[in-house]
Amino acid sequence: MQNQNKVKLSRRDFFKASGLAAAGISGGGLLGGLTPARAKGATPPPMWESRYSACDMCFNKCGLIARVEKGVVTKLDPNPKFLKSRGMLCARGNAGIAQVYDPDRLKHPLLRKGARGEGKWQRIPWDEAIDMAAQKMQEIRKKHSPCGHLFTAGADLQSQFVGRFAEVYGSYNVTSHESLCLLSGTRGFLDTFGEVPFADLLNSKYVIMAGANRFEALVTPDSIDLMTAMRENGLKLVVLDPRYTKTAALAHEWYPIRPGTDMIFMLALMHVIIDEKLFDRQWIEEKTYGIEQLSEHVKQYTPQYAAQECGVPAEDIARIARELAADAPRSMVYPGRRSSDYENSSQIRRSFALVNGLLGNWDKPGGLLAARAVGLKGVPYDPPWYDENPDDRIDAHAAPALFEHDGSFVLTREAVLKGEPYPIKGWFIYKTNPMVNAPNRKKTIQMMEQMDFVTVVDITMSDTAWMADLVLPSQSYLERQDPCSGLQGSVACACVIKRDPVIDPLYESRPVFNILKDIAGKLELGEYFDFNIPGYRKQQLRDLPDAEAAMDRDGVYYNPSKVYGIYEDRIYKTTSHKIELYNQRYEQMGLDPLPVYTPPQKIPESRFRLVVGRNAYFTHGSTCNNALLHELTPENVLWLNPDAAKILGVRDGETVEVSSSVGRGEIKAKVTEAIRKDTVFMYTGFGPLSKGLSLIQNSGASIAALLEDQHDAISGNAAMHETFVTVTRKVA
Amino acid sequence: MAKQQFAMVIDSSKCIDCKGCVISCKVANKVPEGFSRNWIKASVPAFSMGPRTRTHFQPGACMHCDTPTCVQACPTGATYKDAETGIVEIDNSLCIGCGNCIPACPYGARFRNTAIRKADKCDYCPERRAAGLLPACVDTCPTKARVFGDINNPDSEVSRMLSRNKGKVIKIVNAQTDTKPNMYYIGETAPTDWTTAAVVPASMTVMKEVSPLIKGIVGLSGLGVLAMLGRQFLAGSSDSHEPEHHDEEARHD
Amino acid sequence: MTRLFKRHDKSDIFIHWFNAACWLLLLVTGVGLIGNPDIDPVGSWYPDTLRTLVGGGGNLLTIHVVIGFAWILGFLWYLTVNARGAAFFLREVFMVSPARDMAWMIKKMVLMTLGPKPLKMIGMAPELPEQGFYNMGQKAFAQASVVGGVVIAVTGVIMFLSDKVFTAETAWIVSWSVTLHYIAVGLVFAGLLVHVYMAAISPEERPGFRSMFTGHVPEDYARHHHGLWYREISSEPAAKGE
Repeated sequence: MQNQNKVKLSRRDFFKASGLAAAGISGGGLLGGLTPARAKGATPPPMWESRYSACDMCFNKCGLIARVEKGVVTKLDPNPKFLKSRGMLCARGNAGIAQVYDPDRLKHPLLRKGARGEGKWQRIPWDEAIDMAAQKMQEIRKKHSPCGHLFTAGADLQSQFVGRFAEVYGSYNVTSHESLCLLSGTRGFLDTFGEVPFADLLNSKYVIMAGANRFEALVTPDSIDLMTAMRENGLKLVVLDPRYTKTAALAHEWYPIRPGTDMIFMLALMHVIIDEKLFDRQWIEEKTYGIEQLSEHVKQYTPQYAAQECGVPAEDIARIARELAADAPRSMVYPGRRSSDYENSSQIRRSFALVNGLLGNWDKPGGLLAARAVGLKGVPYDPPWYDENPDDRIDAHAAPALFEHDGSFVLTREAVLKGEPYPIKGWFIYKTNPMVNAPNRKKTIQMMEQMDFVTVVDITMSDTAWMADLVLPSQSYLERQDPCSGLQGSVACACVIKRDPVIDPLYESRPVFNILKDIAGKLELGEYFDFNIPGYRKQQLRDLPDAEAAMDRDGVYYNPSKVYGIYEDRIYKTTSHKIELYNQRYEQMGLDPLPVYTPPQKIPESRFRLVVGRNAYFTHGSTCNNALLHELTPENVLWLNPDAAKILGVRDGETVEVSSSVGRGEIKAKVTEAIRKDTVFMYTGFGPLSKGLSLIQNSGASIAALLEDQHDAISGNAAMHETFVTVTRKVA
Repeated sequence: MAKQQFAMVIDSSKCIDCKGCVISCKVANKVPEGFSRNWIKASVPAFSMGPRTRTHFQPGACMHCDTPTCVQACPTGATYKDAETGIVEIDNSLCIGCGNCIPACPYGARFRNTAIRKADKCDYCPERRAAGLLPACVDTCPTKARVFGDINNPDSEVSRMLSRNKGKVIKIVNAQTDTKPNMYYIGETAPTDWTTAAVVPASMTVMKEVSPLIKGIVGLSGLGVLAMLGRQFLAGSSDSHEPEHHDEEARHD
Repeated sequence: MTRLFKRHDKSDIFIHWFNAACWLLLLVTGVGLIGNPDIDPVGSWYPDTLRTLVGGGGNLLTIHVVIGFAWILGFLWYLTVNARGAAFFLREVFMVSPARDMAWMIKKMVLMTLGPKPLKMIGMAPELPEQGFYNMGQKAFAQASVVGGVVIAVTGVIMFLSDKVFTAETAWIVSWSVTLHYIAVGLVFAGLLVHVYMAAISPEERPGFRSMFTGHVPEDYARHHHGLWYREISSEPAAKGE
């Protein structure tokens, strides 16, 4: 057991400062203490040890303190010194205990016995499992070249080792969860500012939030800072969402915008701001490229035109534009995170970026901030070269602006199914669940079926593990030792965290690092994994001499790096070295250099647009089966507007059948005015195939089964809001 | 120093309904499945308001009232208002699980814990406080909507919040049963119409009503005995059948 | 030498005094378990003090429960060793001859408190009707003790089982048990005061009181106090000789 992460907690100042320390009542009595009536007296403090860690219940990695009693974690508390999360732990963070001690956890390696997905497994020893995984990888590499093997890893501190393994094994084919999530937004902002910004919500005065639900899909510190600024700094929040989310519920204004029309709203904002000259002309001329083209371009997008398309009244659009400009640069269109929505999501998000550009909020308080210096270093290595490999990734050129390290899951899958330009027959998956998160599940099943060997490393029998050949039990975040990670916390901090085990590993679970290291050894790639985690961290921290001690003391290291004005002496990583309102590279690539509004496809008669999302109580498929969180969200339901329900004859709570062109599902209807008449909504993560998730058997419907597999034309990101469904009352 | 009154001052406008407090409390206090010691209530949105449709989320828990109806409903005093801290406590060792206190709370703060089969509710996490920590719900709250402290201590954050918000503090009370709660909502809060009148079970009411009668009967009996005693001393025994010498002889047995 | 008649078995004597001792302790501890000003028999100082003395209400409850179970076990033991005695007792106690016993009861109450004069004034003879093994006063208290005892024991066991078998849906049974326990103890206690006076303080029942140690009563006492019983046993051949 490592002791590095032990918290040296002096009693927190709270009680001392406010004189709250309980007046201790003591004394000896006849039977174990004279207890005065009607006073409880002093309670002994718990006999726990406190250890720092970082949460892993979603991607945020909030700092926590694990309370450990006799080798068992009994409570997870926020680390009050962890500024990125503002010293909080949400419901999921608190429910981490139920993940670690989940009776459904994988306990030992399992080898598929029956047909794929049949659920027949044989327990095998680790040695055999490692030998088998290595042997299959070797066979595939020999037969199909190293690129014949696909590697997929979720957001995790050890995922970098999957990437490292893939590279030294020789495969370019690595996908992440990001191409099912945020790459469109990344594309849009990267292709405007040259990097992906962080929102300084705490100091902002006016925020338009579209395509984001920050009070339910929590991002730290954004979710907290947004509320703090609203309550204490008078921030005004305007939400555009077809659904009455909790963010909408707490906003100053909520517009149930027609899905897929956010872009014209943004274009109309720019129309008003430019038309009424509400921007800082000098700053725009100095810092941006293409204001003339933009001015010309947005002339057509009048508030009246936008109103017809998006449903927000023209006068409100104009007013919001003026209010936004009045508070500039302390105002913004919030960039958002998940943007796997539409086939033109990169351009939609670019329209968000352009409004921000026009507001001149870049690198300024209350605006969009550049990434701060963290100081964590990469750990370089020199991968071998494989002559037999093809030229590029399997999904190369399937979309014009793919991300090199993420690719596109949807496009990779398409190519794998076609076997073109080359076959992929092996798949290694760590801690991500494309069977549940990727649209069009049938295709993922086909992809699985055409594989020679699929290895999944996870902590429970996810749907993806359920379809694998070899399932290896990994450790939870409280059992693992992880490398350091640099985190961007907007105005709150730029920090470094690490994870050390707070308890001994349960069952036969092993970290993916050890698994990969062992396999690498068998494949004569051992030299690339000839290190341990503490040694790896030392290399990461080589420029931060104080970091290790700070992390041991406080659970986190802060780099007191510059927050604002980072670009005062820096050039933008764009073609023009300026903020690109007009994107020259897009022009060269034959893409629209300025976002051109095309109306979303008309919803066919008696169908609905299906939109998906989540609440603050679960993180997609990874937490639906968590006993504590399951109490809050036992299943998913279909949000259906009362007018639509009336026409369909559906009553609240009744089971309905939802069908798309690719699949169907049965789900209970929640009849509510919180959703537009033309749209239905459901949570992600439910309706699993795996029988290894005992709490959510036959609970709700699967978005993966229902969603069609369109993709964002530019980034290759999945486009998950392009599916139309029918809803019919289920006849009992 | 004056007697303490631990209390919660809640800025419910800050609550985003993340339910961190609910799960944190469940873990800290090992609350069984299906139950919770605390809650977040939501106002019903009026969609007719269009863009200004709002929902207000309202965190809550036991209000540690000054005149707690749960205490009045408890026959054993297992639940009591702590003289030192003002916390309404449950002494599990003295709770006989009669369940009287559960409907007696206008806020539904109590439940029968299925694991221990006794009354359960918020007690402001005594073990955590002993360790110098805040109650689990307060500690974990992202927006710090829940603030905890001693309102009798003028230097506490809760006291400062109350004085800063004078005139804007809302207490949620039931029209029929004002228990004088120590849960203070600052600014606006909603909903406020969710309480129920305290219900004391018929068995407890009967006991309370019969109590004077029982005492009367015991008193009458006692009076009777006194009368007999009096007569014994004043008039001698009414029974003349027992000669004195029997008394002497019987002693030999 | 006065003729003596056997009135109580050794087991009878034991169970009587065991019952008395349990009652005393259960009363002392039980009253201390009532912690509510609306039903406190003697005020909150009593439970407060007692709980402080034993280190908390939980300890007091444990003590009460242990004694309570001992009390119940004592009676179960008695039933196994002297079932016939128990049956005899119950038969005697619950066999009431209304005309004779009621008249006895009323006259006795007047005689004990006001003396014979009021009876004479309303033209009633102060002589008491003859009584059997138990007089009506003893019967009344014994009936109350038996019925009350069963109620107290059953409700006590229910309260004990509350956190073992009862659920939120069935907790009302526990709650009513509290009420019944309280009422039953109160009523039996009212009778107990008279019982204690009559048996232990009033001189006329002194031989009866003594028989609760010796098991025997003198002939004179039996004749005058339990005439019907006396006539029954004095003709029995096995009766003790003079």
